[in-house]
Amino acid sequence: MAYCLVLFAAGFAGSFHCIGMCGGFACALGSDPQGHGATILRHLLYNCGRLTSYCFLGGLAGALGQVICTSQGATVTLLNGSLDTAQRLLAIVAGLLMIGMALQFYGLLQIFHRLAIGFGSSTFAMSLRSLLRSRSRAAALAFGVFNGFLPCPLVYAFAAEATSTGGALPGALTMASFGLGTFPAMLMMGGIGRVLSPTWRQRGVWLAGTCILLLGLVTLSRGVLPIAAHIAHGGLAGHPA
Amino acid sequence: MTARADGFCSHCLLPIGPRPLRRMTNGENSAFCCYGCCIAFQVKNGKSEEWEAAWLLIRLGVGGFLSMNIMLFSLLLYTGAFTGADARLLPWIDLLLWVLATPAVVILGGPFLAETWLNGLDGRLTSSALIVVGVGATYIYSTFAVIERSDHVYFDTATMVLMLFTLGRYLEAAGRAKAARDLEPLLAAESECATVVDGGSETRRPVREVAAGMLVRVRPGERIPIDGVVIEGESYTDEAVITGESRQVTKGVGCPVMAGSINLDGPLLIQSSGAGTATRWAQICRSVRDALTRRSPTQRVADRVVGVAVPLVLALGGLTALYWTRSLPFDRALLVGLAVLVVACPCAVGLAAPLATSLGIGRLARCGCLVRDPGALEALARIRLVAFDKTGTLTSGRPYVVGIEAAEAGTDEVLARAAGLERHSEHGVAQAIAIAAAARGLEPVATRDVRSVPGRGIRGRSNGQAVAAGNRAFMSDLGWLFPSALRERACALEAGGHSVIYVGWGERVRALLSLADAPLPEARSTIQALRRRGLQVALMTGDLAKAAQRIAAGIGIEDVQAGQSPEAKRAALDRYRQTYNVVAMVGDGLNDGPVLAEADVGIAVGSATDLARETAAIVLPKNGLWMLPWVVDVACAVRTTILTNLAWAFGYNLAALTLAALGALQPVYAAAVMAGSSVLVVVNSLRLARLPDPAVLPLGPSNAGPQSVGNGVAAAAMLSPAIKRS
Repeated sequence: MAYCLVLFAAGFAGSFHCIGMCGGFACALGSDPQGHGATILRHLLYNCGRLTSYCFLGGLAGALGQVICTSQGATVTLLNGSLDTAQRLLAIVAGLLMIGMALQFYGLLQIFHRLAIGFGSSTFAMSLRSLLRSRSRAAALAFGVFNGFLPCPLVYAFAAEATSTGGALPGALTMASFGLGTFPAMLMMGGIGRVLSPTWRQRGVWLAGTCILLLGLVTLSRGVLPIAAHIAHGGLAGHPA
Repeated sequence: MTARADGFCSHCLLPIGPRPLRRMTNGENSAFCCYGCCIAFQVKNGKSEEWEAAWLLIRLGVGGFLSMNIMLFSLLLYTGAFTGADARLLPWIDLLLWVLATPAVVILGGPFLAETWLNGLDGRLTSSALIVVGVGATYIYSTFAVIERSDHVYFDTATMVLMLFTLGRYLEAAGRAKAARDLEPLLAAESECATVVDGGSETRRPVREVAAGMLVRVRPGERIPIDGVVIEGESYTDEAVITGESRQVTKGVGCPVMAGSINLDGPLLIQSSGAGTATRWAQICRSVRDALTRRSPTQRVADRVVGVAVPLVLALGGLTALYWTRSLPFDRALLVGLAVLVVACPCAVGLAAPLATSLGIGRLARCGCLVRDPGALEALARIRLVAFDKTGTLTSGRPYVVGIEAAEAGTDEVLARAAGLERHSEHGVAQAIAIAAAARGLEPVATRDVRSVPGRGIRGRSNGQAVAAGNRAFMSDLGWLFPSALRERACALEAGGHSVIYVGWGERVRALLSLADAPLPEARSTIQALRRRGLQVALMTGDLAKAAQRIAAGIGIEDVQAGQSPEAKRAALDRYRQTYNVVAMVGDGLNDGPVLAEADVGIAVGSATDLARETAAIVLPKNGLWMLPWVVDVACAVRTTILTNLAWAFGYNLAALTLAALGALQPVYAAAVMAGSSVLVVVNSLRLARLPDPAVLPLGPSNAGPQSVGNGVAAAAMLSPAIKRS
């Protein structure tokens, strides 16, 4: 549970980054002429769609991790517990990826940003404009679903984390926690329709970076520490149990 | 998007069947070949106001939302989250899944059902029928399971299969649209608009309404819509679609411009010289359009396979399910049957040929090479022998002076006198003589009282003597003395395939000029390039053997069939066909139409003015002989692509089918790889769009010009069209 809270926090902090891009979508979705309640419903639907996509991605990523780990007969673990080699390797890869994303938030590593942009997110978004303009509630839901699949470094980072959990369900839960974390900011954006001042947004991005960096370090340590322990104990057993 | 005539998918521009999907988009009636194209078109072109456009995306999104939720809840079921104390929740979870799945199946499966229905009315079973039957059975079984409070529901499988197929079709259609960008300008020619300047006002009008004499403005970057003459402005144009050569041509006031070429950098005002629909560009476009609606033999086979495969697969799926019910519970057996249906879906087979063929045709058309029948393109990849016609194909069809036989004068004097006479003539022979004189640096002798006798020759006076040049009949008419040595020489030359011009003065025939056709500068390198591709080359001509041998030796052809009538040429083609199986014939498209029609692949270089009356299946641009090896390369690439596509589609289907029938493949995985398979076929075909442009061979047409051949007397006469004199 504590793990989920960490993810939620990271998602919350990270959502200040989201405001840059997805916040624009939330604003564009705008308010419903039928009143305040309808507007809130509209944005809830949008965010539900997004959350579903995230969960699905998390489930997929977790299942992928599971496939990688299956040969080792992995037991599903969250923050602690026994870890086998494959899972540890996954944790190292995911941790490194997350640290990379975090550094990108500080403006240090531009390659991930280019990767995200190069993926054609803008053309994808352009083709969805008809959904944005539509007054239907179903359109808001559908838009949320597609939005969830838009390339975004934050989502990549958490998908990597979900993979390292090595199970479809924990993977989905990971992404669900993250997705719920982004709820408040995105709902606020839609409701108020006002953009935070650039300084605050910058601070938010740094905060998100720090959170992801910490999470990445934790994930990385999950992969690295047992090996370190082995080395420290000077055991002759070359491979972990 | 411009309005299109019936017969083509609005999105991917491939031919559509007799019962297309029809939708109103942006106020236009559009027809689509498949559901995937319909989605992709609306995603790309849908205007925000269009409810219909958004509707499809909403379907996809809401369907996705529902199926993903079903997946997540099913995940909970599979991981055993509802065991022990929570077990009483199970029926409610199943009911929830049913509530989610029912709209998802309706939303995502509706289009497949509609497609099956429409094709069923035609008495055809298509691959969508497999999806409908498989998914329908799974859904109905699961619904009964919910009612009976059984634990085994498979709504996740049903919706995920639908979702994956919809996604696969969308990706496939997106890939095809990429291919369509190649063909777009070719198919849009007739519906293209021209900016007509009338007095002070400019109006956009369809090209077909433009008549001769109208003024049309063409902005930089636009395609010139009509043939005409530049009235105002100066610019560079690219005429690659007409001439095959992509290079910039300067156009100023008074220059003729061709429809289809692209105005590169300056605005032009053009006076139309003919109707907008009569241009070669419009003919090319019509021809491409016709070619695309025809089906190649490979495609016909593939279509037949698909037609037969669907009922077979349905039966196989049913039998597999039946077989497994003996050893497995009914629901598991049903899933195995579904996996068989999904995995055996022959979508990729149907897609293998048409996309590659249209890409190949489009690639060739952009360089001015026309394919009038997709079957010919496939046949061209299999040819082992190319037979060439001589005159006008491998040779320029214009004479030049190859030898001078003088009896009682120096060759320089003969040439100078003849050139002095012929200076007053516009004839092709006259030009050949003038060029030969100029090549030796001779000053034409001044000649007065020049009269030309049509069909005979030309006469005049120089240095106080009568001078004449012409054929033998002309000399007989004049009654001039003809030395017997020259007479014998003339007979020998004429027997050798040369045209002979007699030159005389002072009432005596003094010399013979022998004229012959020159091989085109690019002929030799073209023949060599074809040989390097492992092709046999032969020469067929109605000319005398000597003349044919001389040309053949010059360009490196050993197999020569000379002195042949059109019937004999056809018989020779038949003989070749017995040895080499598939034979191509290259001609000039003017004189050898019947022979070109007879060959497996008839290729015309340059063509009759009216393309519709062309008999050749492939038409190269004028002076486009050098492109022939490239055309063969493209044909081979198209064939390779089709074969790899088919091999992949069949191989994959068979392997996966075996796995599925053995119960080793989950339906959802089967659907995922199946959708991936179609996308792979599209991606493989798209590689054709990246084929390189034709490489200009050494001695290409760009550096063709007057040049000395043989002993330095002869020079190619290429200044203007010539008419044979005798």
